[in-house]
Amino acid sequence: MEAENDFNEKDIAENITTVSYIANRKGDQELVPGTFWQPVNVVNHQAWQEIEKQIEISKQKIRAGRVSCLHYYMTANQMDPGLLAQYTNQSKWLVRLHLVPFFFKRLQTKALQTYADFFMVSTDDLRQGNLKPPIYNNEEHGSQSVD
Amino acid sequence: MEASQLINFPHNQSAHCESGVAANLLTHKGIDISEAMAFGIGSGLFFGYFPFIRINALPLVTYRAAAGQILKRLGRIPGVTLYQKKFRSKAQAMAELDEALADSIPVGLQTGVFWLPYFPKALRFHFNAHNLVVYGKKGDEYLISDPVFPGPVRCHADDLARARFASGALAPKGKMYYLTQAPENLGLEKLIIDGINSVCKTMIGSPFPLIGIKGIRFMANRLEKWPGRLGKERADLHLGHVVRMQEEIGTGGGGFRFMYSAFLQESGKELGAQTLLDSASELTAAGDCWRQFAVMAARICKDRTREGDSYMAMAEKIRECATLEERVFRGLDQWLKKQ
Repeated sequence: MEAENDFNEKDIAENITTVSYIANRKGDQELVPGTFWQPVNVVNHQAWQEIEKQIEISKQKIRAGRVSCLHYYMTANQMDPGLLAQYTNQSKWLVRLHLVPFFFKRLQTKALQTYADFFMVSTDDLRQGNLKPPIYNNEEHGSQSVD
Repeated sequence: MEASQLINFPHNQSAHCESGVAANLLTHKGIDISEAMAFGIGSGLFFGYFPFIRINALPLVTYRAAAGQILKRLGRIPGVTLYQKKFRSKAQAMAELDEALADSIPVGLQTGVFWLPYFPKALRFHFNAHNLVVYGKKGDEYLISDPVFPGPVRCHADDLARARFASGALAPKGKMYYLTQAPENLGLEKLIIDGINSVCKTMIGSPFPLIGIKGIRFMANRLEKWPGRLGKERADLHLGHVVRMQEEIGTGGGGFRFMYSAFLQESGKELGAQTLLDSASELTAAGDCWRQFAVMAARICKDRTREGDSYMAMAEKIRECATLEERVFRGLDQWLKKQ
């Protein structure tokens, strides 16, 4: 393909070799390991930049006292109130309410615990408004061994 | 709990998770079948543009059939029995998985990618229709054959339970499945013809304007107007989304067109049909055309436009893809009539 050297983005699949179909000289499609086609990395980076931008906006809003720290955890884990509500078995409107600092500060420990368990942080983190990294970025958590 | 359960499971890396799992499960039952063949007889190829369904506030574009379709068609093959079950409770779902493993049955699972710790960070989006096969358990860890990975991986039971009960669009609800019965011979000829027939129907035979060739043209018309309607920034995000759906890991490249082309080649050789081989090379050309569009799109997203790069030019490129694909499926349709 033309113009592949235009793009020097890092491969987002890190060091995992994936396979894709590539036609050989006779025109037969073959499964070939490795990354040969970079433009997809450009659009993947674009998607992540957008997520990071949203996280930055969320942090600013928290600093300005306009939303609770729950908003950061929701945004950083790429969720919206609807999805968070489904995961925590609550109504969407309750979650929306908890995004407001006034209501979030008055939450009982039990309700806080639900969010803490879900985002894998402690209730104190939520109370003090510590912004821990999102679930997918938490190195200590889970087993990462690849055979 | 058993200290260790191990099944001799063939892990063949593949480009697409669902067809990869289908092929690996059949191979385990003694039916040697490639990923592309599973994709083809499951009629995995499709095109749909659904602006009224939103993913992260972007319109849904899909180059393949609905998640689960390949397995569904696989289960309908005469002689094949596919056991499928969904669950309400996590504990019960995990217990049934352990039971099946104790009986030495490799189990396919539908999971959410976001919760799988062995996935690269950058790929952990909320996508809930990922398929994998669990073939053993050691202590608290499951041994997993994830078809898009080069080798087997491991995952902690808690993480796997979360992944099986991911919420949101296409929620898996703990779905598990395995083959209980498989025939000695699949009778490929009929399956190939049925598979191609079904794809032809959706690609050129549907009256609905948002799917198939009509859908491709519809998207081209919409794409042309994005900069004017949405502004440059939003338009670029929309564009990036289309390219991502087309080229993301799991598509095999070119929006599944190359994978389907591989299927047509294999079928052509199997049935000795020259038409299929010709269609395969035409479809490869269509896939290349999609990629030319994607290269131009990537340049626009990166603000590195060259002369001649514009939304108009991209729409024109997509229309070219539509024309190429229309020719492929008209040809296949003619071939089907002679069968």
